[in-house]
Amino acid sequence: MRTGLLCVLLCWYLPVFAAASSSPSLDQIAAMPRWHALLHINPGATLRDRHKSYVDDPDFFFATNGASDPLAELRATVAALKPAGSQARCRFPARYRFVAEQLGWHDPAPLAQCADYLKWRKAVHAKRVVLVFPASYLNSPSSMFGHTLLRLDQGDDSAVWLSWAVNFGAVTSGKDNSLLYVYRGLAGGYPGRFNLVPYVKKIQEYSHMENRDMWEYTLDLNASQIDWLIDHLWELKNVNFDYYFFDENCSFRLLELIAMARPHAGLLQGLRLAEVPVNTVRTLEHKGMVTGRHYRPSKAVELEVLRKRLSPARQKLARRLADDPSLADSPAFRQAPPQVQSTMVDLAYRYLRLVHRKEARDEAVAKRSFALLTLMNRLPATTPPIPAHREAPEAGHGTQMLAAAGGRHENADFGELTYRFTYHDLLDNAYGFLRGAQIEGLGLTLRSTESGDPSLQKLDVVSIRSLAPRNRFIKPISWYVKGGIERTWAGRWRLARYVQGGAGASWQLGRWQPYLLGSLRAENNSEFAGFVTPGAGMEAGILYHRGAWQWQLESVGHYFSNDEYRHTSRVAVQWALTRQQGLRAELERVGWRGDGDNEFKLQWRWYID
Amino acid sequence: MKKILIAAALLGSSASAFAVAPGGPGCGWGNLLFEGKSGMPIHLLATIVNGTSGNATFGMTTGTNGCDTSGALTYSGQSLLAMNGVMEEVAQDMATGQGEALTALSVSMGVQSQDREHFNSVMHDNFASIFPNQDVTAADVMSNINQVMQKDTTLAKYVAA
Repeated sequence: MRTGLLCVLLCWYLPVFAAASSSPSLDQIAAMPRWHALLHINPGATLRDRHKSYVDDPDFFFATNGASDPLAELRATVAALKPAGSQARCRFPARYRFVAEQLGWHDPAPLAQCADYLKWRKAVHAKRVVLVFPASYLNSPSSMFGHTLLRLDQGDDSAVWLSWAVNFGAVTSGKDNSLLYVYRGLAGGYPGRFNLVPYVKKIQEYSHMENRDMWEYTLDLNASQIDWLIDHLWELKNVNFDYYFFDENCSFRLLELIAMARPHAGLLQGLRLAEVPVNTVRTLEHKGMVTGRHYRPSKAVELEVLRKRLSPARQKLARRLADDPSLADSPAFRQAPPQVQSTMVDLAYRYLRLVHRKEARDEAVAKRSFALLTLMNRLPATTPPIPAHREAPEAGHGTQMLAAAGGRHENADFGELTYRFTYHDLLDNAYGFLRGAQIEGLGLTLRSTESGDPSLQKLDVVSIRSLAPRNRFIKPISWYVKGGIERTWAGRWRLARYVQGGAGASWQLGRWQPYLLGSLRAENNSEFAGFVTPGAGMEAGILYHRGAWQWQLESVGHYFSNDEYRHTSRVAVQWALTRQQGLRAELERVGWRGDGDNEFKLQWRWYID
Repeated sequence: MKKILIAAALLGSSASAFAVAPGGPGCGWGNLLFEGKSGMPIHLLATIVNGTSGNATFGMTTGTNGCDTSGALTYSGQSLLAMNGVMEEVAQDMATGQGEALTALSVSMGVQSQDREHFNSVMHDNFASIFPNQDVTAADVMSNINQVMQKDTTLAKYVAA
């Protein structure tokens, strides 16, 4: 009965509501999510400029207080866009569409006067929008943070080389000195802008030059939403935003852009303190906006897949073939089946290109490359080298970590709490991460013993490590650098401030990855006489990975300029319990002139966010 | 202090991390962006903030920044080939008769989907005449492709006589 009555009432009132909503008041329109999205009002997602516009550009607003007052900006916008033939419409086609829809304006050709916009729009159109995530690459752990861009596909599935890439990045002046440059980039000293480039350039930049795998996620946007996005993109041409590395970065801006196209999807809910690009992918996936996933291996990965198809002897022959294509006439080459021959030629060619792609053209290399191409043309085509096993980066562990540990140092028990802001070390759950790469920033460990109050055990400011295996084809340098405060032995256990780094080599032997590096350390502590005491030494170790288990055996020693020395050896293992949890055991010995201490620790690591 | 430490650490780290070839990869990336500043920290920052040059392109630049942007406007076969690094990919795809670069080329030339497989095999069979040597230019390649297509009954319709 009551539902019946409700029905009647609804039917009675619905037309009234509909009539009322066909032209809402300016107050109502100014409060709409899409209007806020068009103005880039911060909905509370980041800490700076809450409930004001992110846009740092007076030309973006018609009202003088437009950045902070959406209603005033709406009034000024309506006044500017209303006259037929208004040039302001050419600058703001998406705002025009929004205002016209809300206020019921009917102009059959509202943008006819906008030749530039119409020309651009003819070239820039899309049937599909894809979020692209270039993953991290070896020897650049800073790339572990990743990047995201959007791709606008014109429709043809296989012709993504012809798509557009929408990229948000800092616009740098290049006039600052190097140190200031890095500092300003991190601290927000450069403006950020959107740009639009052929996607093929992005493929070349990431996949060909930097050897980053690319993950491509098709987004659930319909034709009308895609039009909103592209029209609004035009409004952002040459518009300056602040660029902050941690939160207001490339990924956050893209998320905002997608949120503008789908204002009710709730993409910017909650506070996003650090927009790590992989979390953008996770947010979109969580909101059900990812409808497809495609993996684009880098040139280096393709080379590795091809290499593994060959026996060591034939790998060696392929490597020699790259130096001397006439070896294709040798009996060793001719004895191989045609399919193996083409794999060898393909490998040799790709190796030449990988090594020389970034260099200026060299006539001899060009000649050899061409000879190999000609050979390739005569042999059967190889199966495209795509790795069978791949791990999507968004399936990896969370970016922040909390850990609790208990252990015994010599004869004293201790408990420990650790928080790490970001991101991954060599032993952390490996799934979805690049093996042998580590990047950690802002890690804090407090230790409490039976006899004393909790005290600082360790503060890692930064710790970056790249152990890139060498083989017959690629010979990268392995290196690391770290700095911070740690408790160590200098007369007694005390806090030392240090910077340490090293370089060397690493190899892959099945599941084993040994490494050997020379190392330098600069240390400041209250025992050593000098303000900074330099030391030099070696570091050697071996990693073993199998399934959910990651092992490490390592020894590092330094001899200091004041004739002190110190060495640390440890064996550690982490068991990945779940995606977000790991259990780690460590046995460590720190030794110095005349003595040493042993420590055992069991740690539970919980990855969050 | 902390920030300087981070910066210093990053600076130290980057020295061995990257090899930016001077004048190397060409258009669009580091060395154009940071002309005369090919030092490592610059590239590192480029990775971190995904930097773009001051005259950021918006799909319709006039090509004054040393970049060949003719391909950005129409994506006709000619301009796609002229884009830095694309010809190399097309050559490799043509030698094997498969790949994304070859597809992009055929799509940009207006070849319909039902004829693309045929296009690929014709390009593969005529690789030697399209790429006669390693010094061939993009214009030569384009004119060679046109000649090959004109001789093919299926593909002739896609090229102006």
